Amino acid sequence: MKLEERKEGNVAILTLNGRLDAYSSNELERSISTLIDNGSVRIVVNFGGVDYISSSGLRVMLASLKRLKKAEGDLKLACLKPYVKEVFDIAGFTQLFNIYEQEEEAVNSSRDE
Amino acid sequence: MAYPIIELLLVLVEKICVIVVIAYLITRTKYFREILDKRFTLKNRAIFILIFGAVSIFGTYSGIEIFGAIASVRDLGPMIAGLIGGPVIGLGAGLIGGIHRYFLGGFTCVPCSLATVLAGLFGGIIYILRRGKFIGVSGAVLFAALMETFHMILTLILAHPYSEAVKVVVEVSIPMIFANSLGMFFFAYIISNRIRELETAEERDKYFTELERKRYELKMAHDIQQSFLPDAIPDLPGFELAAQNIPAKEVGGDFYDFIPISEGKIGLTIADVSGKGVPAALFMALSRTIVRAKATRSSGVSEVIRDANSLITADAKSGMFVTLFYAVLDLSERTLTYVSAGHNPPVIFKAKTRTLMRLDAKGIALGAIADIELEERKIILDGGDTVVFYTDGVTEAINKSMDQFGEERLIMTIKENHELSADDMIEKIKGEMLAFCGDEPQFDDITLMVLKAE
Repeated sequence: MKLEERKEGNVAILTLNGRLDAYSSNELERSISTLIDNGSVRIVVNFGGVDYISSSGLRVMLASLKRLKKAEGDLKLACLKPYVKEVFDIAGFTQLFNIYEQEEEAVNSSRDE
Repeated sequence: MAYPIIELLLVLVEKICVIVVIAYLITRTKYFREILDKRFTLKNRAIFILIFGAVSIFGTYSGIEIFGAIASVRDLGPMIAGLIGGPVIGLGAGLIGGIHRYFLGGFTCVPCSLATVLAGLFGGIIYILRRGKFIGVSGAVLFAALMETFHMILTLILAHPYSEAVKVVVEVSIPMIFANSLGMFFFAYIISNRIRELETAEERDKYFTELERKRYELKMAHDIQQSFLPDAIPDLPGFELAAQNIPAKEVGGDFYDFIPISEGKIGLTIADVSGKGVPAALFMALSRTIVRAKATRSSGVSEVIRDANSLITADAKSGMFVTLFYAVLDLSERTLTYVSAGHNPPVIFKAKTRTLMRLDAKGIALGAIADIELEERKIILDGGDTVVFYTDGVTEAINKSMDQFGEERLIMTIKENHELSADDMIEKIKGEMLAFCGDEPQFDDITLMVLKAE
């Protein structure tokens, strides 16, 4: 999995490409942890290039969301492919996350808060 | 002069070769190991004293007489004995070599024999100062050079007449210092290597023991976890039930459970903890126990799982969660009342209409948030209806080209084989998965449960 990181104002944007399985989930968890440790609490994850997410991937997303909520931040998701959306859906996680069609919307809504 | 310096040196080096062979052989004995480990016994001490005493005497006989004095590597044996075995062994070997030399006579016999005894003693003192740790190659060589210099000084002080002593010292000092240092270098080098070799072997042994212990613990964990799964399929009049769990590693996060609720009612659970391995297994044990405790003797469905969720969430650190499907089978009503806590929807084959449906219900995985809503649904089971409960290890199993087995293939398999018994249905699905995945290793835990209405 490829992971790109950039900032727009106070919003950190992570763009993922590839499979989010048990192995790459650990990598993602470390990246998000580093962001939070460095004071980024508004994070948007762009799933546009992800065609598979395992339960380990969901666990990392949930753990990160819990941490960010505690820090009064948020984790927003954008550009979920149908399969990935379905995995979030089945687990009931679409109730927990704010999910956007476009990355721009997710970033803007993070910035407004 | 019978021997020029170079020739004298060559003769001494020749003798050193013998000592090198002896050194090698000594380091291979079990006594060497005992002494390295400081497991001193009367026996190994005596053996070392005798061996190094003999090395010292060999040094004397292999020496060359110059003006009535002997240029030799006699001190080498006692020095080494002291360095690796301490003062007792050093002094013992030194006394053997020294006393022997004393009785050979000659005008340098007093300083020469005294030097040999002191060589062993000083080696032993270094051993004590280093707290029994070998001084290393360069330290040992420096010690040998200094010891032989001291030997020469002793000769100058104690041998008479002084003029003869000076002659001898001028002649033999460089060959003796050099030969003893070189001998010491070879000896110390071989010993250091052997010490390192023994340490490596010890580390390797430790590593293997540790690995063995871990393997054993995982095996135990596997057995304990398997014991959490029901031992036997309950007898359900009018229904047939089968279940199987295949963890990807020794332990896993999937489980299924049959929970007795009341006469004619039984709870069926299938669940999947996020992640794999030991963390998932621990969370599985927690979740399974909580759900079981809440469900036993409670005919509620959604409230049981809601209550269980509050308890699980309180313990769910680092984002762990469990997806779970819970259904209560009413044997007399022939109904299934169910909730889905974010679990893959089971598939039902309706015999009457020959159609397949998902058992969907709105919900969320347990452990994500404290307060959850779960949609409770109920279906009627008619004769021939087959319900297949599964975890995502089934649908997400991949083949070489990373394609998933998928829900579609699962549904097709159920449809084409709906007349099979519950047990055979599980075997059929496993067989189809195997055929699809080929040699690709199982990546996730796989759990299947099949309920068939007769």
